[in-house]
Amino acid sequence: MLKKHNILVVEDELELAKSTISSLLENGFLPFHAKNLKSARKLLKKEKFTAVLLDLGLPDGDGISLIKEIKNTKIEIGLIIVSAKDSLEKKVQGLELGADDYLTKPFFFSELNARLKSVIRRLNLEDNQQLTINEITLFPEEMRTLIHGKIVDLTGKEFGLLLYFFSNPNRVISKTTLGEFMSSSYADYGFTDDVVYTHIKNLKKKITNSGGDDYIKNVYGVGYKFTVE
Amino acid sequence: MKLLTKTSLNFISASVIFFLVGSVAVYLSVRNIIAEDLQNRLFQQQKQFFDNADQNKLSDLTSKLVFIQKTDKEIDYSFSDTVLIVNDSYILYRKLDFSYLIDKQYYNVSILNNQSQSDSLIKKIVIMNVGFALLFFLILFFVNRHSIKSALSVFYSTISKLEDFELSKLQTLSLETAEVQEIKKLNEVFQEMATQIYNDFEAQKEYTENVSHELQTPLAIISSKVDELMQSDNLSKEQMEQLALLLETTNRLSKINQALIFLTKIDNRFYTQGSTFSLNDLIKEKLQIFDAAIQEKKLKLELDLLDITHINMNPYLAETLIINLIKNAIIHNTSGGVLRIQLSNNALSISNSGSPLSFPEKDIFKRFTRSENSKKNLGIGLSIVQRICELYTFKIAYTFGSEHQFKIIFKK
Repeated sequence: MLKKHNILVVEDELELAKSTISSLLENGFLPFHAKNLKSARKLLKKEKFTAVLLDLGLPDGDGISLIKEIKNTKIEIGLIIVSAKDSLEKKVQGLELGADDYLTKPFFFSELNARLKSVIRRLNLEDNQQLTINEITLFPEEMRTLIHGKIVDLTGKEFGLLLYFFSNPNRVISKTTLGEFMSSSYADYGFTDDVVYTHIKNLKKKITNSGGDDYIKNVYGVGYKFTVE
Repeated sequence: MKLLTKTSLNFISASVIFFLVGSVAVYLSVRNIIAEDLQNRLFQQQKQFFDNADQNKLSDLTSKLVFIQKTDKEIDYSFSDTVLIVNDSYILYRKLDFSYLIDKQYYNVSILNNQSQSDSLIKKIVIMNVGFALLFFLILFFVNRHSIKSALSVFYSTISKLEDFELSKLQTLSLETAEVQEIKKLNEVFQEMATQIYNDFEAQKEYTENVSHELQTPLAIISSKVDELMQSDNLSKEQMEQLALLLETTNRLSKINQALIFLTKIDNRFYTQGSTFSLNDLIKEKLQIFDAAIQEKKLKLELDLLDITHINMNPYLAETLIINLIKNAIIHNTSGGVLRIQLSNNALSISNSGSPLSFPEKDIFKRFTRSENSKKNLGIGLSIVQRICELYTFKIAYTFGSEHQFKIIFKK
């Protein structure tokens, strides 16, 4: 990553904010923390942010109001709602107001990374059309994969997984986290382990068959890690 | 039975009884009066006979309606009915018999008086009476019916408004003001109740959201810390396994919380806005989610979508219903088994060739009922399915023959 992206974390739970910030730092972002709406407004005036992670239930009001304010400034800022309120209405309301994504607590940092990077990619389409790690190049918009310059035919799910690993290099991603990523709702719970295993097995095979390195390493049978030197 | 029908029926039955008793009473009393009158006239004629008999010969007194016969003993006077044939037609007469003593000779005298005229008089009076009464009742019936109807119009409007009342539509109940005191009171009570229910509903909604928030946030902290720990270097296999288990358990807790909140939301009728869509398309669409799982278990998918079935329900609930049923049929299937989905004539059945249940059949829809070999399940999916069916009054039945089958019969 050439320039560091400023990310504003609006979160009143201090411990959660701390973890989020250290995860963002690890991933090469420059995080700022605001524990309520008031300090968030102050920071938004002072600094230029690429994206905002917004909790909705804040001590001094509903985060929804901040979405409107940010959208009114016409400055392009990626907006991800991170809320424990898993209500359909809130989700719809937030997205209608212009939020780019919605994460329900508890979430996994690898999931947050993936979503955040995807939001940033969408904001800067022109200079970020492709992602490259060594011999593998991904074109997220076209869902196209090149290994050593040759097209590799991946299914939608496999491409999604690879993109997820691209967003979380050198990070241990537990099976639970991947299962969560692969599932569409909590109704899929307890169901995805086999599915995750199958998809990863296929993905690994396709990468190595095309002459790519075996980046996806199994970690003690509890998770996976996309290892990049 | 409608209120109006009920009151009308009461009115009619009371009227009929009244009318029958009244008619009989009128008939009897009129007949009595006329019979008495006839007897009085006969007595008068008897008196006349006595007056004339003193001055004239008996034979002169004999006429068309007076008959005299010799007799040897005295008799008491008596009345009776008799019929004479006059010009080939039968005419009813009232007859008075009495004895008359003259020159030591008893005579039996019969005086007749035409009764048919009084009979027709009775008839006319009774008919007139019945006619007026009938007319009276009819008029009364319609006036009564109309007045009850108009008095109840507000009542009926209240009923139809209550029928259409849906909490989640965020509308308040507005009832018409009534003239009738009781109905006015009723409307006031309903209005108050609706406001109370609405407030409770809102409070409940807020409560579930708060519970969700209060539980999910600490869970988020736990899982974020575990996730962080997992990234540290030099973790032993055991430590990593324990951390993964922690993460998994926290995630499970969060899912149970979410599922229970979802169940509460269904119970509180959060998801009521519906739309009409094809169930066939929904099933095909949702099956794609399970492509990998079906392949992994080497299941034979038999899809029998015979009729195009359109259904009107909340899309999110419909989705949940289908996903839960298909998921259930895959999880509990044996490797290489059959997954059969049939949609025909407004009935959906999803079958799987899993091994028999390890718990009583009646518990299948109960929360947290799980088979022994699927401990990883939440055990809430089928409860959710059942609740959704209940919400839309669909019939759902589980049967186990050679296969486990869940069958939903949609209404209409």
